[in-house]
Amino acid sequence: MSAVTVNERTSAPAERDLRFTRVLRSEWIKQWSLRSSAITLGATLAVMILFGVVSSLSATGSVETTGPGGGGGDPFSGSGDPLATVLAGANFGVLIVSVFGVLAGAREYGSGMIRSTMAAVPARLPVLWAKVAVLVSTLLVVAVLGVFVAYFAGNAILSSADAATAQWSDEGVVRALLGNVAYLVGLGVIGLALGLILRSIGGGLGTLIGGILFLPTLASALLPDTWDSALKYLPSNAAQSFTAVAAPETLLSAGQGAVVFALWLVVAVAGAAVAIRVRDV
Amino acid sequence: MLEIVELTKRYGDVTAVDGVTFRVRPGVVTGFLGPNGAGKSTTMRMILGLDKPTSGSALVNGRPYVDSRAPMRELGVLLDARNVDKGRSARNHLRALGATVGIGRTRVEDLLELVGLSDVADKSAGSFSLGMGQRLGIATALLGDPSVVMLDEPVNGLDPDGIQWIRGLLKDLAAEGRTVFVSSHLMSEMELTAEHLVVIGRGRIIADMSMDDFIASASPDRVRVVSPEAVRLREPLLALAKSVTSAEAQVLEVEGVPASIIGDLAAELGVRLHELTSISASLEEAFMELTRESVQYHGAASGHATIDGARA
Repeated sequence: MSAVTVNERTSAPAERDLRFTRVLRSEWIKQWSLRSSAITLGATLAVMILFGVVSSLSATGSVETTGPGGGGGDPFSGSGDPLATVLAGANFGVLIVSVFGVLAGAREYGSGMIRSTMAAVPARLPVLWAKVAVLVSTLLVVAVLGVFVAYFAGNAILSSADAATAQWSDEGVVRALLGNVAYLVGLGVIGLALGLILRSIGGGLGTLIGGILFLPTLASALLPDTWDSALKYLPSNAAQSFTAVAAPETLLSAGQGAVVFALWLVVAVAGAAVAIRVRDV
Repeated sequence: MLEIVELTKRYGDVTAVDGVTFRVRPGVVTGFLGPNGAGKSTTMRMILGLDKPTSGSALVNGRPYVDSRAPMRELGVLLDARNVDKGRSARNHLRALGATVGIGRTRVEDLLELVGLSDVADKSAGSFSLGMGQRLGIATALLGDPSVVMLDEPVNGLDPDGIQWIRGLLKDLAAEGRTVFVSSHLMSEMELTAEHLVVIGRGRIIADMSMDDFIASASPDRVRVVSPEAVRLREPLLALAKSVTSAEAQVLEVEGVPASIIGDLAAELGVRLHELTSISASLEEAFMELTRESVQYHGAASGHATIDGARA
């Protein structure tokens, strides 16, 4: 068993240093060496594209819907927004991406791996930046593919049925497409930050999904209207202003919404940085 | 080289490590010995920077580990073999951690072979037995070819073959000039590997000495003498011995006089001997004796007279 030498004193000292690019590579290996990563990301893509296609088909009447009105041939039923139709899968994509982000942050705390990681990178913060960079680059690819394939496929279905489409040149369409990409990636990063702060998959998911999906609805239902001016600053409401072609008047403008959402993102990542720096592992 | 100076860690009212100061030198295996809960792991976590000390400092090769330019190349560590993501294969686990200091595939394969995990390298680490996990942990510790190796209870879960192997490995690592710091709660294990001992109990250093000195100080020679005429031996022995005690009428326990002298003395005096036995306290007993007052978790109603019930 001990035929192999323990020694490896062949490389020059400078070649042995910790560098950010190396931590980045470490996190990249970590992500892709778990089978669940590819499965989750594949599921995100599939859901966004398939739901977009199905929703487009049902909007053109090609697929029977089960509502009380039967298979309505009216393409403008529901939201009446063709972009919302082709991006119907984005809502589910948001859910899966949230899970992926929280897992990327909290998994190592659940398994104890974080102690091995921080023993290898005792400066700690490079691990956070590397995790953010790996997550952003991965989710960017998935979100761009999901959003744009769903858009083109859905539009092709709508136009083949002579239904109204969301033209590239239409006002707000490109912005909304890019907005959806940014929202997906941003939510993943907020999930990562929450996972790192709360160190728990359940806690991170509960906070993110509760805060993003349920809080806005619940709050607007329970609180008096005078609160609406505050509720529009919630992350999901802020994001809605730049992910939809025509957002309701009560929300922020697209530009303001983007700034507010970016602030949420910065606050979450800064919180994770402080937590990682200050707390014992 | 590890230099620990006045290291203290408090959790609320509980002081886990209390002003600990010691050095671990290169070239020898240093054992870090103490009962469960004595503060061994907490001390190691502070050396790694995983836990921040309440006060004091720990230096690895002259500076805090947090400032290390090539962490895994400097300090290789096994804290808990279960600190792995369960779904990742052993090979990818090593690749991911090694990547932080630019360690490539060849080195990973070498280490897998060294610890005997080549055949199961593609199996998920979560499916490993405790012993296999321990081997993976040791591979992780040695991955960066570090000048300091720090292992917390490395023989945990290993089979006898594995235990033999790790004893040899630790000695080899020290012989190569590395600093080797190994914790255990078993004196018997330390006895076979460590040349130097740091003993900790209730967060304080109780002893910091070479194994030889520890053995010498810990096991005073005692001789058990059984004779129907024990009374006749008592007086002359008192003159020679450090102490002579008698638990039963015919039994003497003599400290500080070798059995040969007692035998000769009995022959000269014409005293019949039924038994003459040298009793040297085992190191385990010596360690128990040393840490008795600092053991945090006594067994409830232990029948052993050696455990001082009054303290617990």
